[in-house]
Amino acid sequence: MHALECEQLTKVYRSGLRNKREIRALQEVSISVESGQIFSLLGPNGAGKTTFVKILLSLTHPTGGRALVLDHPVTESRVRRRVGYLPENHRFPGYLTGEQVMTSFGSLAGVTRSALPGRIDQLLTLVGMQEWRKVKVRKYSKGMMQRLGLAQALVNDPDLVFLDEPTDGVDPVGRKEIRDVLRNLREQGKTIFLNSHLLSEVELVSDRVAILDKGKLLKVGTVEELTTTESSYTIGCQGPLPESLRTEAEARVLGVTMSAEGVVANVTDPAALNAVIDLLRKHGVLITSVTPQRNTLEESFISLIKREIPS
Amino acid sequence: MSILVLIRLTLRELSSKVTMYILAGISTLVLIGLALAVSVDSMADGEVLKLFGQQVSPPVPLEELAKAVQQMQAGLAGGLFTGIILFGVFATAGVIPDTLERGTVDLYISKPISRWELLLGKYCGAVAAIGLNIIYFLAGAWLVFGLRCGVWDANLLLSALTMTFMFAALYALVVFFGTWTRSTAASIILTYLYLFILGGILHNREFTLYLISENTIYRSVIDGLYYLFPQISGMQENGAKQIMQVEMDWKPFLQSFLSGSVFFLAAAVILKRRDF
Repeated sequence: MHALECEQLTKVYRSGLRNKREIRALQEVSISVESGQIFSLLGPNGAGKTTFVKILLSLTHPTGGRALVLDHPVTESRVRRRVGYLPENHRFPGYLTGEQVMTSFGSLAGVTRSALPGRIDQLLTLVGMQEWRKVKVRKYSKGMMQRLGLAQALVNDPDLVFLDEPTDGVDPVGRKEIRDVLRNLREQGKTIFLNSHLLSEVELVSDRVAILDKGKLLKVGTVEELTTTESSYTIGCQGPLPESLRTEAEARVLGVTMSAEGVVANVTDPAALNAVIDLLRKHGVLITSVTPQRNTLEESFISLIKREIPS
Repeated sequence: MSILVLIRLTLRELSSKVTMYILAGISTLVLIGLALAVSVDSMADGEVLKLFGQQVSPPVPLEELAKAVQQMQAGLAGGLFTGIILFGVFATAGVIPDTLERGTVDLYISKPISRWELLLGKYCGAVAAIGLNIIYFLAGAWLVFGLRCGVWDANLLLSALTMTFMFAALYALVVFFGTWTRSTAASIILTYLYLFILGGILHNREFTLYLISENTIYRSVIDGLYYLFPQISGMQENGAKQIMQVEMDWKPFLQSFLSGSVFFLAAAVILKRRDF
């Protein structure tokens, strides 16, 4: 079952005299997210990530395309009873205490009056804000606001949660706690849609990742799929490599580098990889493993974005 | 349910603002001043109403004193009317622009409420806050006149409804400007421009705008503009009539209701179409 499904989603902002200036914030983006997953959307500033989330929450109207949230059109406000949202740079009314924020926004989210106190207790404890519940939010630090924001996003026990930069301003211990909360929610079968700049964190928790740039969807896949390079393999070998092998490899321009741990083959296709393996066996080298090389998510992200720049 | 939550939030928001305390403080000072200033003295040829020790009515039999008190109450209501325009609009004009600020509006619209509900909840909250101030002032004045003059006139209390209705009609205009511009300052300036300049010109259109052209279409447009806006002066007159127990003219009520509805609907349409 899909928690989220959108097809050919397009958003064009028009400005200037007679709306002549166009900014294509989203260009025919199609994404679907399975229930019970942590799905992350990555992209540089201005890529269209926030616009995408705002369309799914009906904060922004799409210019074209179709979007369903929990099998309902995004324009149906009642579907948002099952949705939670932590916006980036959210501003809770400063005159409310943390507890009042939870009560007010919980009531707006459709939580019954009888269920609210228990839910508030549970969530404020979960995000470590129990002792600050009676303090006005204008006195909160950025990190505390994020924690309260997360609790607020979960107040209606949503099936789908959108989190825009949830760890922004949170200390390392707090980040770890938030990651644990996200994993715990996934175990409960909730779907989490994450917008974040912190790629190392995204890598730690996400099941699937999409990369967006200039409004275009560049790639979608699991973290493993995105970080695995298709053209570089580490070939584990036993024993020292003969000098004759190095000479022949250089002469045939096979694109291999040799080290004590083994051989790294930078190849363009499986046939070239097999040619390297054949060469190693010809020289009597005992092969113990052939492993595709993996980048970090950050390296993959940067290489993907750089590849798009000339276009 | 959501609308009640929004009303409560708006009341909390306004009660945290200094302007609302100033408004309540001014009301309290006026009531204390009134309690000290107004009195009734018995003279040989009847009862006289005094203000700051000065006689403000001719000696009348006790049963006719109420008329003189009503006149004073009508004058007081006129002052309150001006106060509502000056301070009420000023104190509440920020409600809509503040709600529509980035980071705040996201929190509201991402909840299962429609945009018109958000607007209605905020509108009702601001009107309720000013309505409570009006009730506080008029109930206080009713007590002062009752205790100091022995005149317990329920019409003074009932005029709180007329005043609140008048503010509600005017506030729809403020909400429209606030939704359109998303700026507190701009909505205050535009509302005051209407109240103190355009409203007066339209009200006296026969001596101002009509002089520009005799064209019937032009004059119909001017008339249309006049009826488009809330009938503030007509409502003010009705407030005084209510206290004086004179039959009220219902046309300003109807026109102001229609005008308020039009401006509120226009604000709702703008909000519905807007991207955040």
